[in-house]
Amino acid sequence: MASLYWLQCGGCGGDTMSFLGVDSPDLIELFDALDIRLLWHPSLSAISPAEHDALLARLLSGEEALDILVVEGAIIRGPANTGMFDARHGRPKKDLAAALAARANHIVAAGTCASFGGIGADDAIQATGLQFLKKEAGGLLGKDFRSRAGMPVINLAGCPCHAEVMAGALTALVAGQTLELDEFNRPLDWYGMTVHQGCTRNEYHEYRVEEWDFAQRGCLFFHMGCHGPLVDGPCNKLLWNGRSSKTRAGVPCFGCTDPSFPTASPFFETRNIEGVPIDLPKGMSRAHYLVYKGMAAAAAPERLKKRDTRI
Amino acid sequence: MTKRILCDIPLNRVEGDLEIRVALENNRVVDAWSSGTMFRGFENIMVGRGARDGLVITPRICGICSTTHLMAAARALDRIAGVTVPDNAIRLRNTALLAEHCQGDVRQSLLMFLPDFASAAYAEHPLYAEAVTRYTPLQGTRCIDAVRQTKTLLEIIAILGGQWPHSSFMVPGGVSYVPPLTELNQCRHILRHYRQWYERSVLGCTLTRWQQVQSASNLDAWLAESAAHRDSDTGFLLRFADRAGLRELGRGHGHFLSSGLPDMPAETAAGPYAFAAGFRDSTGRCQPFDQLQVAEHVAASWYADYPGGRHPSTGITEPYATGAEGKKYSWGKAPRYLDLPAETGPLAERIIGNDPLFLDLLQRDGVNLVMRQLARLTRPARLLPAMEIWLDEMIARPDQPYYTPVQHMPDGQGYGLIEAARGTLGHWVEIRDGRIARYQIITPTAWNGSPRDSMDVRGPWEEALIGTPIKDIGNPVEAGHVVRSFDPCLVCTVHVVGAGRLPLHC
Repeated sequence: MASLYWLQCGGCGGDTMSFLGVDSPDLIELFDALDIRLLWHPSLSAISPAEHDALLARLLSGEEALDILVVEGAIIRGPANTGMFDARHGRPKKDLAAALAARANHIVAAGTCASFGGIGADDAIQATGLQFLKKEAGGLLGKDFRSRAGMPVINLAGCPCHAEVMAGALTALVAGQTLELDEFNRPLDWYGMTVHQGCTRNEYHEYRVEEWDFAQRGCLFFHMGCHGPLVDGPCNKLLWNGRSSKTRAGVPCFGCTDPSFPTASPFFETRNIEGVPIDLPKGMSRAHYLVYKGMAAAAAPERLKKRDTRI
Repeated sequence: MTKRILCDIPLNRVEGDLEIRVALENNRVVDAWSSGTMFRGFENIMVGRGARDGLVITPRICGICSTTHLMAAARALDRIAGVTVPDNAIRLRNTALLAEHCQGDVRQSLLMFLPDFASAAYAEHPLYAEAVTRYTPLQGTRCIDAVRQTKTLLEIIAILGGQWPHSSFMVPGGVSYVPPLTELNQCRHILRHYRQWYERSVLGCTLTRWQQVQSASNLDAWLAESAAHRDSDTGFLLRFADRAGLRELGRGHGHFLSSGLPDMPAETAAGPYAFAAGFRDSTGRCQPFDQLQVAEHVAASWYADYPGGRHPSTGITEPYATGAEGKKYSWGKAPRYLDLPAETGPLAERIIGNDPLFLDLLQRDGVNLVMRQLARLTRPARLLPAMEIWLDEMIARPDQPYYTPVQHMPDGQGYGLIEAARGTLGHWVEIRDGRIARYQIITPTAWNGSPRDSMDVRGPWEEALIGTPIKDIGNPVEAGHVVRSFDPCLVCTVHVVGAGRLPLHC
């Protein structure tokens, strides 16, 4: 039996909505298989307000053990570090998050807001993640924080977090398995590949067959602002809702799994100098890139130039 | 003298957290204050960003209605770009939008509203044991079924637009993707599966049979007609609510607002399924919807004061968090139509659309929380056929366009209004020098859950709470029914949400 408390802070509820769609196992089967006892979820629980207060008191005093704390949404610190832009019973929710974190064996940040601050990290609400503020370690809990089980906060980035990633992380935690993490404490099994991997437009990318507008088949990286080759995430491996992905459906990747999301530069545009993107695919050197893409474009087969190849 | 006590009620199973303060006399609500506890500052986050960035940022206001925000944002940009959106793009947008509505209506009913009937507060109710079996979170038979079925419908949005939630496939001029015939066929299969489940389990009858329910007496006859009807979620809602006396509760001001579903393809057979637009006051007078009549007040909201209300195109959102005056109690602004508070959502749309069943129920029972919830739970019966028609029309027109090129987003002002799952949603946008200069959003929950305005008039669910009996203040399920019947989405109330707290007085 593993107890789980789901805390919602400054977010949209999208990670919950995404998680409700988990498939094979579905949510019911997953909780059953892992023997998870859901102490509280703001959208699902039916215990009374008085019972909820009593539950929190037991968790915070240590009378009742908390195996897994899931936090969804950013920690809101504004205005002026008071946290009162997000309050519960007249007290800042950030304090509740910190108090529960001190009691939890494992802490999971569901989504980019809880991981890195996300929406609002650069704004008056002073949003931060639990253990990172964008790329900088620290956040609400501090870079040296460790949970009772000796782990940092597991960051399941994404806006929203993919349902299968949440299910997979909970499975590993309950089984006592160690998830190998990257420098931003994201599990490498899902964040050790770019979003570009598995995109059905890859061949268009390979031969630099570029798109300038929507509803076409070519690559969205060169002009349409696609972050797919720049950021890590499993979107085109796991697919969304078991069906597709944004890039497959002609929507550029906005880099929502990255600590810097949302970046300040406009979406749907690729920053470039003389037609060459400023941000190159992860790890790529500019000199090699220019030679490679020049040759690739020259070698592009007619079927791609004519957009005959389906995506 | 009657003792008056003030009590703060936190409410969950709404999108986001909500805290409501009520004043009680003899265990009845005599006054209510609804205040947002969260300020996310979305409108200010938007300023200075790229012209199209609303398509990416605003869906992230809300995890349960992200497609709806996307549509409002896209429509505002369509207007600024002055572009004609092709029929197929309208069909695709509408199909995705209504898929989101049809999952939301069922999830809210089965996972958020009905679980209150399984509360210990109803231990004496004759249908309590059945309610527990059906609606206990994650264990009840109907809850499990809802979790398993609602997610399938969202696959349609993923096929057409990449993912749910939080995609950005609606763009000024149309959509980002031309779905091949085979994928449209897949959507049709998914829709058929969902419709059959909805008919079998939620209604207990075919959509055709349900559409014959045109009056209050028809509804009574429908309920008496068969065990399948009574055992459905719709039947159970009516049976349980009647024995609990819930038709007496959740009345409100009786003013209704709907901005309609204004985008219909020029050529479509789905016309009869269009959402009506308009405003109807409590005397029954109706008038066409005019977005210029919308104004937001901040007298009771934690924002820098201005007199009266302001149209959102000139709206300002400057947080001013102080309890010093004692007058301000919410991060929510108070939107008003013709200076009146207005209820919005499936019931409002049905009444403005002159739906015979709901007009008759209104006549017989007055506004109440049961008819509000009934309107939501049975709305997919109207939406699913429209989705079928649009998918079939797309399948029949593979060579027609899905996008009109918009080479460059010009500067300008525009708005996007849409009937969201929870009611009227508006985005008001100004683009200047290729950047967003102003972005104001009014969500359905901003309307329904608004605080008092500058005339000190309560918001819709504040008013609807008046007269509600609260048997046990530790478990105030009755207040929960009233507020949940509006399907609150607190995360959406961008510059609101939850309840700004004064000290606990209970």
